[in-house]
Amino acid sequence: MTGMRLCVACGMPMKTAADFAMGDTEKDYCVHCARTDGSMQSYGEKAASLAAFLVMTQGLDGGAALEAAKGMMTRLPAWKGVGGIA
Amino acid sequence: MGKLRSVKKVRTRESLITAAIRVFSRDGFLAARTSEIAEEAGLAHGTVFLHFPTQETLTATVIEECGLRIAARIHELAERGAGVREVLDAHLRGIGEFEAFYARLAIEGPLLPARARNSILGIHSALSFHMGEASERDQKAGIIRPIPMYFLFNTWIGLVHYYLANRELFSPDGSVIERRGAELIEEFMNMIGSRGSKEEAE
Repeated sequence: MTGMRLCVACGMPMKTAADFAMGDTEKDYCVHCARTDGSMQSYGEKAASLAAFLVMTQGLDGGAALEAAKGMMTRLPAWKGVGGIA
Repeated sequence: MGKLRSVKKVRTRESLITAAIRVFSRDGFLAARTSEIAEEAGLAHGTVFLHFPTQETLTATVIEECGLRIAARIHELAERGAGVREVLDAHLRGIGEFEAFYARLAIEGPLLPARARNSILGIHSALSFHMGEASERDQKAGIIRPIPMYFLFNTWIGLVHYYLANRELFSPDGSVIERRGAELIEEFMNMIGSRGSKEEAE
């Protein structure tokens, strides 16, 4: 098993500094989960961007992709207790 | 004492997950029984339910944990800046380390509960992320023909899953990825290569 850190917001392993938000390895979320000012995307923003990613790269239906994105996010540390997640 | 108990609890949980991976790889997710998982782990049947309240929870947890390992391995093997060929190779090597387990996911995935299906999407996303970046680069460089990203991904996944689902026909004596993986990559690259489309057009 790898010792790579996982992004708390999307689960992507962060291998190098370039994978971290703003290249800052102190942050616990990745470059894809950061807004342009470096802050972490909100639950709604992340669900929408993850769904768009699933549509573009795997061809899912938009509604199904959003449901799947929210389902995938339930297991991620950043979203515990957010968006109706227990 | 409390700390010792806690360590033992973690170890027992790990033993159950390791045993479940073996049983699921052998019997499949839907046919596996918790009694067989307990036996495989060398534990009493009731111990399973001290750690996992239902069989569905155990199955979802094991798929989730194994799915994270497979996705992380694909990320680890796929070099940033690589081409499609290298990403396909990383994908096969990543899932190849868990071939029997992954083959069960390929076969039974659509029949599993949403939580398990989301774990499969997580594995797919590790590949589609790298494949998306690589295909953009290879299309710009004229190495592959223009193909929608999702279609490229789904065509590859469909091909690999077909071989895995029927691995007893394609490679009855061992790993189908080891035996046919290089051929799959080579022929897939020939199929999507821009040279092929030019020759066809002439």
